[in-house]
Amino acid sequence: MHHSRLKPYWMILPVVVFMGIFIYSILNTLIQSLGILPAAGLNEWTLSYYQAVLFRGDLFPSLQLSLYFSVVSSLLAVILGVLISALAVRTGFTRKKLFQIFKVPIIVPHLVAALLILNLFSQSGIISRVFYQLNWVQSPQQFPSVLFDPYALGIMLAYLWKEVPFVILMVVTIMEKIDGSIGEAAVNLGASKFKTFYRITLPLCLPTIYTSFLLVFAYSFGAFEIPFLLGMTSPKALPVLAYVEFTHPDLAHRPYAMALNGIMVVLSIMLTYVYYRIFKGDQKAKAGGGYQ
Amino acid sequence: MEAINNIELKVLPKTILYITLFSVLLPLGVLLIWSFAGSWPWPNLLPKTFSYRVLAELFGGYSGALQVLFSSVLISMVVAFASILISIPAARAIAFYDFLGKDFLQFITLLPVIVPVTAFAMGTQILFIRLNLSDTVIGVVIVHIILCLPYTMKILTEVTEATGNKMERQARVLGATPYQTFRYVTLPLLMPGIIAAGSMAYIISFSQYFLTFLVGGGNIITFSMFMFPYIQSGDRTIASGYSILFIATSLLVFILFETLMKRYYHVEEVYFFN
Repeated sequence: MHHSRLKPYWMILPVVVFMGIFIYSILNTLIQSLGILPAAGLNEWTLSYYQAVLFRGDLFPSLQLSLYFSVVSSLLAVILGVLISALAVRTGFTRKKLFQIFKVPIIVPHLVAALLILNLFSQSGIISRVFYQLNWVQSPQQFPSVLFDPYALGIMLAYLWKEVPFVILMVVTIMEKIDGSIGEAAVNLGASKFKTFYRITLPLCLPTIYTSFLLVFAYSFGAFEIPFLLGMTSPKALPVLAYVEFTHPDLAHRPYAMALNGIMVVLSIMLTYVYYRIFKGDQKAKAGGGYQ
Repeated sequence: MEAINNIELKVLPKTILYITLFSVLLPLGVLLIWSFAGSWPWPNLLPKTFSYRVLAELFGGYSGALQVLFSSVLISMVVAFASILISIPAARAIAFYDFLGKDFLQFITLLPVIVPVTAFAMGTQILFIRLNLSDTVIGVVIVHIILCLPYTMKILTEVTEATGNKMERQARVLGATPYQTFRYVTLPLLMPGIIAAGSMAYIISFSQYFLTFLVGGGNIITFSMFMFPYIQSGDRTIASGYSILFIATSLLVFILFETLMKRYYHVEEVYFFN
């Protein structure tokens, strides 16, 4: 009896150990961000590093930049992804072999995605060459520099190339299931196809859509590679700036890096909490409505 | 009038779908051409000369690319295997048992994909130095496993919940030992989930740059790290060639993984190439 009550704890033990390492590391980051770093002679709790990040002219633009490109690219990725999923489901495209192509970007790492965008959109890239053939530009310099630009277009293009297919693959499975069962019933009962999609299929897909937004946003907000390879030198995205501060030769600089990380951690965990609230609410609605 | 509308309604969705597919494939096509480009001056749409510089670099040079590729594949396979191994019992616990902190565990295992990787990587430093894990392969494998657990846990929990444990109970009632039950009932039922979770874990580990770089301290070179300076410095031919090699290797590993599993377990449903 006693043995079987302990059994699930034994089964989760390895995962708990690994998650323990993860939590311990994050706590370490947060503690250092609050000014505790004995190795550098810092022993007093302070919020001054957070103040610096939020109010100092050289650090705050990074937060703005990171929020801007991750929100815009994730929203676009989700909208496009859902739209294309809907089209693919409606036209039966999901059953075609060609649909498998959407799986390819999943195995392409983000740093290669950055290279793809460089190959296409740099001033000597393919798009610029096509523009020359069309007589729109006469020299590479005339091609608008969409990379390393203040609007972070290159960064967002790279994320879109990776994340739109990711959203499609997440959403399409569930959408197909719903459309096949409930959608058909609604159409049989006289609802138009568009109405069925908008009123029934889409709402039932919302949990998955929220999940895909959360994953895509959290990734683009916290990732290093793409903004490092395709971003401007100033302002830098938060993770890039955090890395620069982290490698500063003066160890006493480290809490700045950790405060930048701290802000990212707090924002992403807050978002996850909001997601859980919405998701839980949605599950209740689903249970009440009798769909499962 | 209605006929025209109908045609438009059919043509427009298809056009959009094909444009999307084209935007996925075009950059990859350009990548492939670049990897064999010798001289490719602006504004030519195709290279002037072709070269096999990438192949020479790979097989002839002192770059060590192949050794790095090989050890990198090995690291990622170990990560995928270990992630699955520790996720299977935990997923069963979540699916079939009630225990204290179950919700909390599920929430926590989601966090590594949410919390920025920089915050995690920089936070490990003091702990890993103390445990003598920084700059070691084991350290890199540990942090990779942590990043994979959200995916392997979610996939395997879903599959375990969906298959249930009725078949296993049946096997036990009919006299199978716990080992036989696991080997001949549980494992084959879980196999589609294991393939999906394993592929995901492999690719997460294989693609990882920043975490490997920070925890491995430049001592542990994976193929992603090896490629990075070429992409950064703008040697398009070598960078593109290595990228193609990266993608091809992943595809090969997946195909190998799936055919092996299919041969032993007769799995119909697969994740990547159905």
